[in-house]
Amino acid sequence: MGRWKNGILITYLVAIVFPFIFLFLLSMSSGWRFPDLLPEYFGFKNWGKVAGTESGIAQSFLISLVISLSVAVSSTLCGFVISRYVSYHPKKRLLTLLTYFPYILAPVVFGACLSYYFLKMGIFGTTFGVVLAQFIIAFPYALIFFSSFWNEKIKSYEDLVATLGGGSLTTFRKVLLPMARGLLMVCFFQTFLISWFEYGLTSIIGVGKVQTLTIKVFLFIKESNFYYGAMSCCMLIIPPVVMIYINKKYVFNKLI
Amino acid sequence: MVPFAAAFGYSLLYSFGIIGVVNDGFTLEFWAEVFRSGAFLDALIYSVTIALISVFISVTAALWFTLKFQKKLRGKIVSFMIYLPLAIPGIVAAFFTVQILSKSGLFSRFSYLLGFTSGITDFPDLINDQYAIGIILVLISVVMPFFVLLFLNVYDNERLDQLTELARSLGASNSQTIWRVSLPVILRKTWTLIALYFIFLLGAYEVPLILGQESPQMLSVLIVRELKQFDLTKISEGYVVAVMYTILVSIATILLFSKRSTENG
Repeated sequence: MGRWKNGILITYLVAIVFPFIFLFLLSMSSGWRFPDLLPEYFGFKNWGKVAGTESGIAQSFLISLVISLSVAVSSTLCGFVISRYVSYHPKKRLLTLLTYFPYILAPVVFGACLSYYFLKMGIFGTTFGVVLAQFIIAFPYALIFFSSFWNEKIKSYEDLVATLGGGSLTTFRKVLLPMARGLLMVCFFQTFLISWFEYGLTSIIGVGKVQTLTIKVFLFIKESNFYYGAMSCCMLIIPPVVMIYINKKYVFNKLI
Repeated sequence: MVPFAAAFGYSLLYSFGIIGVVNDGFTLEFWAEVFRSGAFLDALIYSVTIALISVFISVTAALWFTLKFQKKLRGKIVSFMIYLPLAIPGIVAAFFTVQILSKSGLFSRFSYLLGFTSGITDFPDLINDQYAIGIILVLISVVMPFFVLLFLNVYDNERLDQLTELARSLGASNSQTIWRVSLPVILRKTWTLIALYFIFLLGAYEVPLILGQESPQMLSVLIVRELKQFDLTKISEGYVVAVMYTILVSIATILLFSKRSTENG
């Protein structure tokens, strides 16, 4: 019985690692035809083209990075500041419930219904449009995330600073931001990942013009270019794996 | 909330023909057509079934892993490894599944070499299939690791080790400690998140887009297909489905959080 259970645990762990190894090996292959188990070519030829215009993967990596960093910074900072007003508001419960609506709706459906407004604002198919659309999803997450930070203890600190003559800006800079540093980091990385993994909303608002890495993976699947697809997958996976290595909290947070 | 209200308002007006390039004014025709065709109901039943199966299997497997291996899962390397699945987004999981389970995928090649099949066509349809096997497998592989980590957290926070020890010292058997102590505590603490994940999976997009079939489709895929089609007269019907989906998800959210607020006092 014990050996049987250990076998299951080992199978689970192998199943976890296998996709990483497989995708990396596939990204180094070409000419992998059925029914061959091994590809005709195996080496770094594909990775040599990662920065070239043919694959466009490096360019997509940079676009994804710019979008995700913009979304993470803006939603974390806005979420932190505005969550304070939500948490101290007399109608806190109602406001918190309303925060969940944009967050819980499928982003792609939300994007499809919002696309008219993006078109009217002239930001349809632009990087800024994608950043704004993703912000609309990530910001409610940040609001909910910080809601637990504002409690009686924090309020007492704020009152103390006010009693000693500190203004609201000083309170934020000298007291609240240093106290929330850890949470700000976790929220930054979580919202970064929400943006980094986003596909549906980006495909609707970006209309194929803003080619993030997730869009690239889908394009390579449609083109049946699985080697470049695997390479894009590896580029998508690397940042979150690094985050897990640095601090597991950056990728796992039980929100409610 | 403003973008949500704006998106909902626009969809609602479009669904009643009040706005839209080829619409002439208020009509219930599009709503009637959607109900007549049964497209929404088919997609809803299909999505609910897939989401329910995926969540049920994920939660069951995660509970089993947590309760059976909670000590081994805390080892230095293992505790790092169990976080790794969170680094894989849905689109990568779907891409990987295509490479493994498609008719020319890795399993098909092994099956051919071992003599189980005589070619590509012999291998069963495991993706883009009528039973949504590929979709369910990917959703489980994405959701289950999250629940393992969540349940391990609850196990620690609720001091289940000590509680089960206490139950045993009072004469409870192993199965009694699992069924009467561990499971009720874990599930009571996490049921909101489980329900929330069910709602998330209901709106899954990229996984069913890559691994699903033409018909029936999951709700998000159906809505986007309807809204992006070339026949402009049909777009209003897409907005009808989007409005119904939004109402459904909103009601579920209100019920979920009002029940949670009641429980929290």
